[in-house]
Amino acid sequence: MTEAVSAAIGTGGRGAGRVRGRTGAWMRGQGFWLALMSPVLLFLIVTQFWPLVDTSRISVFDYQPTRSPDSTFVGVQNYVDLFLNDRRFWIITRNSFLWMLGSTAVQVVVGTAGALVLNMNLRLRGLWRGLMMVPWVTPVVVVAIIWRWMFDGGENGLVNYYLGQAGLLSDPLVWLSSDVWVWPVVLLASTWKGTPFVILLVLAGLQSLPGELIESARVDGAGAFKRFRYVVLPHLRPTLAVTTLIALVTVWFKFELIWALTTGGPAFATTILPIYVFTQAFRDFNFGMAGAVATIAMLTLLTVVGVLGLLTRLRKEGSS
Amino acid sequence: MSDVRVRRAVASVAGRYSAVLALMLFLLLPAIWLVLSSLRPNREIFTSMPSWSFLGLTLDNYEWALSERGMGMVQLLATTLFVCATTAVLTAVFAMLAGYGLARYQGVGARAAVVILLLAQMIQGPMILIPWYSVTAQLGLLNTRTVLILIYQTITLPAAVWLMSSFFRRIPQELEEAAAIDGAGRLRTLAQVVLPIAMPGVAAVTMYAFILAWNDYQYALTLTSSRTTKTVQVGIAQVMESLGATNWGGIMASGVLAIVPVVIVFALVQKTLISGLTAGAVKG
Repeated sequence: MTEAVSAAIGTGGRGAGRVRGRTGAWMRGQGFWLALMSPVLLFLIVTQFWPLVDTSRISVFDYQPTRSPDSTFVGVQNYVDLFLNDRRFWIITRNSFLWMLGSTAVQVVVGTAGALVLNMNLRLRGLWRGLMMVPWVTPVVVVAIIWRWMFDGGENGLVNYYLGQAGLLSDPLVWLSSDVWVWPVVLLASTWKGTPFVILLVLAGLQSLPGELIESARVDGAGAFKRFRYVVLPHLRPTLAVTTLIALVTVWFKFELIWALTTGGPAFATTILPIYVFTQAFRDFNFGMAGAVATIAMLTLLTVVGVLGLLTRLRKEGSS
Repeated sequence: MSDVRVRRAVASVAGRYSAVLALMLFLLLPAIWLVLSSLRPNREIFTSMPSWSFLGLTLDNYEWALSERGMGMVQLLATTLFVCATTAVLTAVFAMLAGYGLARYQGVGARAAVVILLLAQMIQGPMILIPWYSVTAQLGLLNTRTVLILIYQTITLPAAVWLMSSFFRRIPQELEEAAAIDGAGRLRTLAQVVLPIAMPGVAAVTMYAFILAWNDYQYALTLTSSRTTKTVQVGIAQVMESLGATNWGGIMASGVLAIVPVVIVFALVQKTLISGLTAGAVKG
């Protein structure tokens, strides 16, 4: 990588005159910019694109490095095992969709509401906008500490205590050990962590909305809801599409929040495909199987993103 | 008549501020609760009902968090600071060059470069971890800070190049053309004309890279575990698993210490960073 840079700098820096011929002319033209980009692009290809390809390559091998250093080609056997013989797989797939769509939807809705709030005429608006980013900078393990502590299963856990006081709970609920109640906690924690970034993006979209548009709608007698529905929302649509996409990808690969909170449990109740890759690879050291799960996880993401893209495109054509 | 109008105005102000209050409570209360609990004597934490009082607070938990016999946060913070700062500086240098190139390049494959950067942001975590683990194990790089600094570039570079190029695009090209007429080479133009103007952007991207690296847990969890290489998050999580719920006070104090560096870094560059992040997203 450093060689590429020094080469680029060397030829680029000497400039006109010394470098002759076509290459020289190219370096003095567009080639210079390409040379500036190439170290990073090459690095990303080697460290991200190649590993992606390699991950799907090992998915057709039986490769368990702690048992034997060799890998044997098994075709689609890993996939067949997952689909037919692994009961957990389908639960995990269901969890994955629940998590991906649920967490993204909640984040986008809460984030949009938050952005509308922070876009209002307020004193100290800058301060609020800075403070709201606190969850975004909080490392996931600390997020896990916070939410595990708030949803502590004892009767003096914050949430149990107040729910008890309000008469909504007679006995303390052991949130994180329950197949059902673990989900609200995980979703709440991910909303807390993810919403600030959504607010940030939607706020930017709102700020590009001309004030006169809203004003003229107000003059025409449109109420707050109608103004939102017919003026603000159509303007926000492209921003919301990009935001949803970003939230979706983040939620999918940042499985570490779930891991820190529940390690995918109780049992496999909160395990999603990316977590399953992790446990297959680094608990069971079954790299071949992990590769198969990873490939499925990638295809799942691409499908969801593709469907989303198609929907927004259809929407656009439908409205124009 | 005016009475009604005054009342309506008051109601609208009250509505606005209660909405902000609700939002801020949701986003800040959990963090405030963490800080308050970390200051409470450990024996009180479990035995008594939740308390928001500022009375009877203590720094005992912080002593435990920092001491070598407790969490050992001094070592953990030192390791993490070193890894994240190195990551940030490397990212800044390479993303600055690449971002400048991306902002100005118009030749063959300009779109391909953009696509590579966008796709790279989608190829993360579990999709690349297995080869990274195998290869770094063969190279003897497991459990080193080097491997973390390298893999963190995959988190930071795609976004950083993107941000840098959006900062560079805002700089009028006439400045560079003028410098070229004066006979300055392109690298000199970059160093002496463009960079000084882009400096706030470069600083913001550096800090952004630092925050992203600080927020990683999965890579550190997979690739490091020894005493001198594990990061703050791995260290705290390990203690949390082994101690279970016996010393929540100390764990929470460690959690507070783990947030402080990123909050400071974020506060330093808040404005430029937010404008950069949002400009890129809305256009894209």
